[in-house]
Amino acid sequence: MKSARTGTRIIALVVFSVIFAASDVSAQFQPPGALGALAPANLAKPRPKPPFDLTGTWLHGGGADNGFRFSPPPGFKLTPEAQVHFDAARKAQAEGKVYRDDIGQCWPSGVPIMMTRVWPIAMIQLPTAIFMVQELMNTMRFIYLDGRPHTDPDVAVRSFNGESIGHWENDTLVVDTTNFVPDHHWIDSGIPASDALHILERIRMINEGKTLEIEYTATDPKSWEGEWKWTKRWQRVDERDIAEVECLPELNEHMPTTHSNANVR
Amino acid sequence: MKSRLITALLVIALFTSSSGYGHHSAAGIDRTKTVTVEGTVKQFKWGNPHSWLEVEVANSKRASDIWNFEMNPPAFLVRSGWKSTSVKAGDKVKVTGRPFMNGEPGGIFVSLTLQDGQVLGAGQQPSQPAQR
Repeated sequence: MKSARTGTRIIALVVFSVIFAASDVSAQFQPPGALGALAPANLAKPRPKPPFDLTGTWLHGGGADNGFRFSPPPGFKLTPEAQVHFDAARKAQAEGKVYRDDIGQCWPSGVPIMMTRVWPIAMIQLPTAIFMVQELMNTMRFIYLDGRPHTDPDVAVRSFNGESIGHWENDTLVVDTTNFVPDHHWIDSGIPASDALHILERIRMINEGKTLEIEYTATDPKSWEGEWKWTKRWQRVDERDIAEVECLPELNEHMPTTHSNANVR
Repeated sequence: MKSRLITALLVIALFTSSSGYGHHSAAGIDRTKTVTVEGTVKQFKWGNPHSWLEVEVANSKRASDIWNFEMNPPAFLVRSGWKSTSVKAGDKVKVTGRPFMNGEPGGIFVSLTLQDGQVLGAGQQPSQPAQR
């Protein structure tokens, strides 16, 4: 009887240790022994069948109210820090100029803007993660689905596409993205992203699997008040593949719009 | 002499064709106008994310300007018949583009006419999403 109780305790200890270890597996810095998203043993773990597979090549567009911009909503209110940029952008626009077009200077577009370029996105869905490659500048985005938590913001190496953690809720993939870089990263013209930007995406497959729909909810208390929401849609472009697309200094030297005096830096 | 005095032909017209342009902001471009210039190809780049075309155009000061036209990526341009060999340095061409508001020589490419009269356009998105 005593040995049975001891055995139960050992099992409980092992289970606890496994759970504890798993919760310590952050998205960026895996502790020793943790499995990466492409590890066969991680891929092979038993998981519920996902409601859809978005593997394919997708191009933003189609339908009404589906513009490529993530414009502020009516009645929006910016923080004083963001308002400075917004006002400068409006002034530049009134003068026929453009304010801090960092994408044109080869800075990554970043989430969410990288999702709605005129270039398609290759998406590969695995049980543990979704890999996205936007053709423009081949910018990469990873969405981890294997249960790992976000990296401690004090440790994370911040990025333009942020750190995305997803989980399934019925027919919807819910993706939480944080740990963004605050510099050279814009939501829209004159709307800066800060290190407090947080984006929630609710991703659904509609139109018999031909259309991807994402509802965005974005907060950034250092740039604006409240929640901003958008809904965007993508269509499958099955006859296309993406190619290598770099933004190079020597290319920009010959690009009239990127070195024109019409740019306000 | 006449060839040295080729003057830039400026045609202002309402721009009507659509473009897949969108890598970044078209800084300072007047989308309501077009400009047409005649000159000699200096350089042509066939590449991503944008192709570009530089044309040497004589100006009224008995000198020349380099007009730089920003083009769509090759995947778009092939839909208008473009190849990497369509133009080369030294070719005489007529180019139409959307100009800068501030008068800088250059703009967004709309079309090119070769000496044999062939016209090559700006191309289009290889696959337009349904319902777009």
